[in-house]
Amino acid sequence: MGSPARSLREVVNNLWKWTVDRLERTTIVVYKFTVPKTYVSPFGYLGTLTAIVFAILGVSGAFLMFYYRPDVELAYLSVKEITEQVPFGFVMRNIHYHASNLMVLLAVLHLYYQYFSGRYKIKNEVLWVTGVVLGVLTILEAYTGYNLIMNQRAMLAINIGMGLTYSAPILGPSLAPIFLGGGLFDLVIRFYALHVFILPLLMLILAAVHFPRALVIDFPAISAVVGAIFIAGGLFPVELGVKFDPTRGLIEVPEWYLTAIYAFLRTGTERFTAGALLPLLFVILFLIVPFVDKSKKLSWRDRPFFTALGVATIVLIAVTTVWGFYVDFSKATPFEQLYIEPTLFYGSLGVMTIASFLATYRFFSRKAKVTRPAPPRPITLTPSQATSLMLALFILMILTVAASFYTYTLSLPNHSMFWLGIAFMLLGLLLHVYRHSILVEQRAGAVREAQKAPAR
Amino acid sequence: MVSRRSYLRSILVAAIAVAVAPFANLVSFFYRSNAETAQRQKIANLKDLSPGSAIYFPYPKTGDPKIDNDPFRQYILVMTREGELRVYSRVCVHLWCLPTYLPQKGALICPCHGSVYREDDGVAVEGPAAYQPYPTNALPMGRIEVDGNGDIWLVGVEGRIGYGREWKRIPPRDLIRRV
Repeated sequence: MGSPARSLREVVNNLWKWTVDRLERTTIVVYKFTVPKTYVSPFGYLGTLTAIVFAILGVSGAFLMFYYRPDVELAYLSVKEITEQVPFGFVMRNIHYHASNLMVLLAVLHLYYQYFSGRYKIKNEVLWVTGVVLGVLTILEAYTGYNLIMNQRAMLAINIGMGLTYSAPILGPSLAPIFLGGGLFDLVIRFYALHVFILPLLMLILAAVHFPRALVIDFPAISAVVGAIFIAGGLFPVELGVKFDPTRGLIEVPEWYLTAIYAFLRTGTERFTAGALLPLLFVILFLIVPFVDKSKKLSWRDRPFFTALGVATIVLIAVTTVWGFYVDFSKATPFEQLYIEPTLFYGSLGVMTIASFLATYRFFSRKAKVTRPAPPRPITLTPSQATSLMLALFILMILTVAASFYTYTLSLPNHSMFWLGIAFMLLGLLLHVYRHSILVEQRAGAVREAQKAPAR
Repeated sequence: MVSRRSYLRSILVAAIAVAVAPFANLVSFFYRSNAETAQRQKIANLKDLSPGSAIYFPYPKTGDPKIDNDPFRQYILVMTREGELRVYSRVCVHLWCLPTYLPQKGALICPCHGSVYREDDGVAVEGPAAYQPYPTNALPMGRIEVDGNGDIWLVGVEGRIGYGREWKRIPPRDLIRRV
């Protein structure tokens, strides 16, 4: 009694209680944070994971601002400096870049999971609509971000974006100069303002509406997401590209989430229709879904039309994205290499989407009795197994973190990122084994209690 | 009878409208005023040019090398082989490279993807820019004045830099004035 460790713990506990009591006066109590005690499917909390990746982007982006210079000439050089000279600059830039990819990916997965499970119903229309708008803002945020490098690839994207804005009916000619200003020297600062402040602010405001009140914080999954960002950075380090030079032509393909739009533009279809109107129709399709699909049924098995529509949109994205990456190097000039034959493009697109729609629709209309597969038997570890597994994971983590340090001293930052990513994956696994063994222990305790109780 | 309450409410709404109205002007904040036009700038004298020659210059010129070197401020003054004066924005309407004048072809040639613009009207006739639909297949053109001393002044720009010009609407000849 009264040992220093014990009284210190009491002080910390009291401070914690004191704080929690006073937090009840804030809005934080509105949210119900759930930390799952056992494995739950990550599909259910992809939104929370997207928000966590957004937070990672905010932090890494804020640090990148310490070195980045929004200037036509210096922008590229400052990114080069970050990548090649600033300590951990390579790591910071890769975290920011791959987190942006992951955020787009998670947002798309989140959208489709919610779509197929019919979550836009049951009074969730506002959540759904704000979510679709957030998705569009995420793409715009990523677009303005990779343009800040001012390399050839960025200039291609800026060129396409400005062309699209100019070609917009009525508003275009007065809207484009707002982004362009007096020239590229203005444009880079304006894109910077959009990227680091205006768009993230809009996203935060929308997120405040979009967040449901119950949030699942799954630490093993978060650890795995961080690990995935590091592993991606290690395996596919972000490139610097070639500095924009108005006397050199290069073939560049936009970032993967924009190649679909790029494919439409390359068919020679009227610019505004191809690059803005068709993508807008696609977004509108998702926006109106909750107001069209009014049935009471939630499961994708019971809604053949909307399930088929969802599958068709996935096929549409896949086909156009593949076309966007396609370059025919057998042709003589870059212009011919990038040209996509419209009949071939729209033909393949039409056939594939319609076929996938019909196939899915027929498959789910057949009303066949679905036999759900038996859920896999959960693996239960004994306390001693759990202990040795955790110890083994811990030792592996020490080894991978050591490998990460060692490769960094060898000036191999991408190897270093890879090993750190593996370490985070292992940490995720370790966290899962930990919560599993706690659960097993609790159950065993409950059984012992029941046995102790006198029989009646 | 119009109720007193709805009468008061109309006054309130009108008052808010009056307070907000001045902010409509704020839109001009987003446009850089010296961006494109309205600056009268001397480019050269007729003596400096001969048929089939060109002069490169920034417009509107500020004296700040960073701004004056911006691709979107690069222009070219051409005296065509027939002795006509033309000013074009140098930003290729395809992917924003900077074309140069080739007197022997009587055209501006883009170094990146080989777009060819006629010296007479700045319309693309070859290369990727030529495949772009009207009005995105022509270079923006300068409005010029030539005074009694032979000084050539640029007074404005027709078209949108890096995008195109509605070249069927205003013939090139109408953009040159002798004063």
